[in-house]
Amino acid sequence: MDRMRLVLSRKLRDEIFAHARESAPQECCGLLLGEDEVARKVLRCRNVHPTPETRYVIDQKQVFEAFRQSRDFDRELVAIYHSHPRSPAYPSPTDRAEAQWPEAAYVLVSLRAEPPEIYAYRIGEKGVREIPLVDP
Amino acid sequence: MSVTVRLPGALRDTTGGETKLTASGATLREVIADIDRRHPGFAARVLDPSGAIRSYVNVYIGEDDARARGGSNAAVPDGSEVMVIPAMAGGS
Repeated sequence: MDRMRLVLSRKLRDEIFAHARESAPQECCGLLLGEDEVARKVLRCRNVHPTPETRYVIDQKQVFEAFRQSRDFDRELVAIYHSHPRSPAYPSPTDRAEAQWPEAAYVLVSLRAEPPEIYAYRIGEKGVREIPLVDP
Repeated sequence: MSVTVRLPGALRDTTGGETKLTASGATLREVIADIDRRHPGFAARVLDPSGAIRSYVNVYIGEDDARARGGSNAAVPDGSEVMVIPAMAGGS
């Protein structure tokens, strides 16, 4: 699956923004599930990193359940999202070093501006590439 | 002892594109070694040099986290489904 864009409705963007605001000053994280490039659902996940103000690790049990219940996880995992409460919505060195899902999009939300900034990227061996976020 | 190993596409580069494999072994370490014989490099992606499951990889045997069952020494019953799932992590 070579996602060249991410289709994300205003409603789902607002759900992600709400999650980011509720989690601040900690980073929020979750999954966007759907088909191929089209996100249909926000799955809020628990950030289990011991320093959640600057790092995130999605609770592995939630990833396992999503993987186990999916018939085609690579198609249905559209994106992984998380927030940067104080820094730009661009993959940090930590984001790049720990990215292990090159086929998924990575959605970043920054709360340093109002309304929040939101961008989508692919992160792989070739580096970071922004992909368009489009309305349905 | 035959088990099924499922991987997301994120790991398919280690298995020649396969995301569902059949493997043999009585322990997780043996199962991983069996796959590594066919796909060299797979074991190094899942286990560290000491043989422990890497911190950024999660392995389930059925519904159980392998770390809670002995890590790479965990028993893998015949017919089990083993799932290897990379962590989702990062930070600002």
